[in-house]
Amino acid sequence: MSDNKQFVATASGVIEHDHNHDGVNRRGFLKCMAWAGTGALCVVEAGVLKSVALGAQLGSSKKQPTASQLSFVQISDSHMGFDKPANPDVVATLKAAVDRINALPDAPEFILHTGDITHLSTPEQFDTVDQILKSTNKEVFFVPGEHDVLNDDGAMFRERYARNSKGAGWYSFNKNGIHFIGLVNVMNLKAGGLGNLGREQLEWLEDDLRAVKHSTPIVVFAHIPLWTVYPQWGWGTDDGAQALSYLQKFGSVTVLNGHIHQTMQKVEGHVTFHTACSTAFPQPAPGQAEGPGPLKVPADQLRKVLGITNVNYLKHRHALALVDSSLE
Amino acid sequence: MPTPRSQLLIAMLGLALILAVVLPSATAIGQPAPTPATEVKVDNFTFSPEVVTVPVNSTVTWTNKDDVPHVIASTNATFRSKGLDTDDHYSFTFTQPGTYSYYCSMHPKMTGKIIVQ
Repeated sequence: MSDNKQFVATASGVIEHDHNHDGVNRRGFLKCMAWAGTGALCVVEAGVLKSVALGAQLGSSKKQPTASQLSFVQISDSHMGFDKPANPDVVATLKAAVDRINALPDAPEFILHTGDITHLSTPEQFDTVDQILKSTNKEVFFVPGEHDVLNDDGAMFRERYARNSKGAGWYSFNKNGIHFIGLVNVMNLKAGGLGNLGREQLEWLEDDLRAVKHSTPIVVFAHIPLWTVYPQWGWGTDDGAQALSYLQKFGSVTVLNGHIHQTMQKVEGHVTFHTACSTAFPQPAPGQAEGPGPLKVPADQLRKVLGITNVNYLKHRHALALVDSSLE
Repeated sequence: MPTPRSQLLIAMLGLALILAVVLPSATAIGQPAPTPATEVKVDNFTFSPEVVTVPVNSTVTWTNKDDVPHVIASTNATFRSKGLDTDDHYSFTFTQPGTYSYYCSMHPKMTGKIIVQ
C-alpha cells in the first residue's frame, strides 16, 4: 500500500484472494471507522484496495471512472425512530446521506437499501424514510432487516416495497447487463442460530440463476452478511454457504450486506463480499465490546463513522468497484 | 325433624358458605405461600439470569434495558412478545410445570430458559 492512511488488519483477516496477482498481501478486515476517521475513501477495484483522499474523489475527474456502465448506491441501517445517545437525530444523518448521494459526480441510477429501514417497523417510521429518500429522485430497492418485520412477519414491508416478490420478500431484476438478487435472511430465525434464508428461498435462488449466463455480473444484496463475519454476535447466515454455492460458476459476484454498521470486505475467488456503514449509528468492531449494541462516539465524530457505498460497474473490468464514503 | 339426607345438605351448604367467605381472603393475604414475580433483565444482548427456576403459576417479567429492541419468543411458540423497545416490559404466567426455552427472535444468539416446577 503506497498510501499513508491507516487501516486495521487482523490475524483473523480473510481478504486472501489476489485478483491481480500483484503480490500484495491483503489479509485483514478493513474497517470503515479507521478509514473514515481520516476522511479517506475505501476503494476496491477489481479486488485491489486503494485509498483516495476525499477531495480527490469528489472534486477531480482524474480518479473518476469515465466509462462506468452502471453506477448505483447502497445505503443501509437507517433505523428510523432510533433516538438514543448514539445518535439522537437519525433523520438528520439520513438526510446527510441523501445529500452525499445527490453530490456524487457519477450520478447513480438507483439505490439499494439493505435493511433496518426503521427501528421498530411502524408506518410512521417507514413514511419518514420514504419521504427523505424521495429527494434523490431515484428508484430504491429494499430488502428487510430484522427491525422491519417486527410484529407482522414482514407483511407491511412487502406491501410497501416488495409487492411483486416471492415468499418473504425476495426478488431479482436486471439492470444494464447486471443481474441483481435481493434476499431475505431475517425471517424465521432459529434459537441459537444466525441469519436464515430457508429451503424455499434457496430453491428459488437456484432456479432464478438457471437462466443467467455465467458471464453476467451478479449482485446479491441482503441485510445480514451472507458470509460469517462474527458468529458470536450473530453476524452471519446459517445457510449462506448454500446460497453461495449456486454462485460459484459465475465470473463476477458482488455480495452487499448491512447489519453490522461498519464496512468490511472479503474477496474469495470471483466473489466480493462487502458490508456498508449505517446512516444511523456505528457498532463496535467484532469482539471489541461486550456486545454488538450501538457504539457511542463523540458527537463531532459521528458522521465520520456513518456513510454510503457507491458501486460502479466498469466496462472491461472483472469486478465492480466499491467506494465507501463517510457522511463527513 | 329434618331427614339425615337434608341435614347433610345443610351441612354442605354451610361449608360452602364458609369456604366462599374464607378462601378469597386467604388468597388475598397470600396463603398459601405467594408466588413472587420473577424479573429477567435483557441487557447487553443477554438474558439475566439466563436460567430461572420458578414454582407453577409464577409470572415472569422481562424488561429491555438495551438501546435496541428485542422480542421474547419461546422456541415452541408458547409465548411471544411484541417488539420491546428500551424499558418496555413483557410478562407471562407459567401455569404448567416444564422447561421453557426461549430466545430473542431478532437476535437468536440470545437464549434463555424458564424452569417451572
